[in-house]
Amino acid sequence: MASIRVDDHELEVEEGRTLLQALDDAGLLMNGVDVPHYCWHPKLAIDGSCRLCQVEIEGFPKLQIACNTPVKDGMVVRTQTEAVRRAREGVMELLLINHPLDCPICDQAGECKLQDYAFEYGVGQSRTREPRRALKKSVDLGPTIVFDQERCILCRRCVRFCREVPKTGELGVFNRGDQSVIETFPGSELDNPYSMNVADICPVGALTTKDFRFKIRVWFLEDVPGVCTGCAAGCNVWLGTANNKVYRYVPRRNDAVNETWICDHGRMTYQQIGSADRIAHPALRGEDGILRAASLDDALAEAAARLRRVLDATGPGALGVVASPHASNEDLAVLRSLVDALAVEGAALAVRQGDSDEILVQAEKAANATGARALGFGDPAALLERLRGGALEALLVLGHDLLDPALLGEGDALDGVGSVILLDSHHSPLERAAHVVLPTRHAAEKFGTLTNHAGRVQRVRPAVEPAWAAWSEGELLARLGAALGLPDFDGKFDPRAVSRALGERAPAFDGVDWDSVGDEGLPLKQGGA
Amino acid sequence: MVISEDTRAAIEREIGKYPQRRGALLPALHLVQQEHGFVSPDSMRELAGIFELLPVEVMEVVHFYNMFHDRPRGRHQVHVCTNLPCSLRGARGLMRQLESHLGIHAGETTADGRISLGHEECLGACAYAPMLRIGETYHENLDAEQAKRLLDGLE
Repeated sequence: MASIRVDDHELEVEEGRTLLQALDDAGLLMNGVDVPHYCWHPKLAIDGSCRLCQVEIEGFPKLQIACNTPVKDGMVVRTQTEAVRRAREGVMELLLINHPLDCPICDQAGECKLQDYAFEYGVGQSRTREPRRALKKSVDLGPTIVFDQERCILCRRCVRFCREVPKTGELGVFNRGDQSVIETFPGSELDNPYSMNVADICPVGALTTKDFRFKIRVWFLEDVPGVCTGCAAGCNVWLGTANNKVYRYVPRRNDAVNETWICDHGRMTYQQIGSADRIAHPALRGEDGILRAASLDDALAEAAARLRRVLDATGPGALGVVASPHASNEDLAVLRSLVDALAVEGAALAVRQGDSDEILVQAEKAANATGARALGFGDPAALLERLRGGALEALLVLGHDLLDPALLGEGDALDGVGSVILLDSHHSPLERAAHVVLPTRHAAEKFGTLTNHAGRVQRVRPAVEPAWAAWSEGELLARLGAALGLPDFDGKFDPRAVSRALGERAPAFDGVDWDSVGDEGLPLKQGGA
Repeated sequence: MVISEDTRAAIEREIGKYPQRRGALLPALHLVQQEHGFVSPDSMRELAGIFELLPVEVMEVVHFYNMFHDRPRGRHQVHVCTNLPCSLRGARGLMRQLESHLGIHAGETTADGRISLGHEECLGACAYAPMLRIGETYHENLDAEQAKRLLDGLE
């Protein structure tokens, strides 16, 4: 370990770390100790090209770049001296010499490091009258990204990202000196499953995503911390919300989960929140076989009546329950209570499977399969066998992951089931078999916790309010339990209270509740999951 | 395959001289350019395979050095040294004269594909400035008329 002092902070730093890394490790970088930087990124190799992070170090005759200067025991660093201030002004002036003044039409404006640092550390006016570099303003780099060469400050973050993270290496810096430009190899595109991260790490408005650009000014967005629901990785995101709408996901740094990245597929799942596919009201299947909108009370009464008929006539053995890996731990805790109260056995979990990779993407395409398993919902094979054998007269299904080709496929097997109660957020062919449909909320519309593939419990909160009728599974099931007249069901659902009580039901959740996990999550207790 | 077997063998011989394969990239680029007159994207891809690099990394090197060309050039490569000592002895004026004589700018090729004209950094012939290089041959102590005659004599 090395003891160093940076301004008024005494730090114990692991040998081999550089100054910026040490400040980042200590959580001080731009959060107590301001060392502005462009090319340095905590999760990419050091480049040392932007020269903005210069600091004064005792014993060094000249300023040093903090990003690439290893710490040494006894080092004394000053980041706010007159020499540092002048160096930053000089670097900013050089970076701005060729930068176009198109902030009013630039999508990065408002979250632009060049704007921020020019304001904080720049000189305020230009001393040049020479024309700025005229380059390509709108280069189509591939399916997801548009590139403005004039705005680029050549920090090479995008170049390093493509080489180091997806390891596809599409981008390079061509030519030299003031002719340098970033381009792809002739005839190839920036096209990889993580391509849109380059727009996040681009400190200026050079790289923008085709999806988000020109949709809304970022200063109108309120960023709500949440979790991506695209797969079991549980990547932390900021939900950019305005007008009761989610405009984008951007990765939220969590070194224990997704570092600073998110896959393109996951990033685009924000579109599911406000999609036209959402189930927008409860529905009941009439005598004529047509599914019609109904009030929640009528739908719940009908669901309860159907379940009660089967329970009274045949018993709980004729009722199948399928949990959704999209529901929160709290929702599933209510389902678990209901299942136990009805003495239903073999309540199963259905999870749609898909591709995975070595970086982030997990095969289970849902955010909370691990949580569902921790709450006792298991393999659906036995349930499917009973279903196909005609042993089930009623089915309570959450979500439509049963339609995975490895499980039900198209869902015709449900046609023979007398009563299918479906709780789901999006339309699917499963509705064809449903007698009662209850609309549920997306993770971006409720309080709850989700357990990722590695057993990390992470919380979500309402970022938007659905403009239609939708309830969390926990609330619907609490009311269904009350409609069934079950003891301990008063029809009320307080997700944070349920969260605190989760540990009583499954010891792995002991002390791991909505309030205690914070915005970065906590792992399930050992041996619990 | 656009790089010939002979050039590939020569590249392998160069690689043997360096502790790491990639060390021989510059000699290899010269060899490929000798064979084709320029380094095409296809040859960059093949070189990337030989050197276990990304194609863009090879292209970055090609673009960094102005003696490598990524597209076909004229039959004769004329390089005027415009570094400081040559410029002090009139190289820039010489370059302007040659540009107007050929009707092209430095970096361009005549429409008939006969001559490519370019700037060159120091060629180590400061004592004989101004000078230019045609292919591998130096022509020194030039005035504009001599230089024009030289160019007119090229097929």
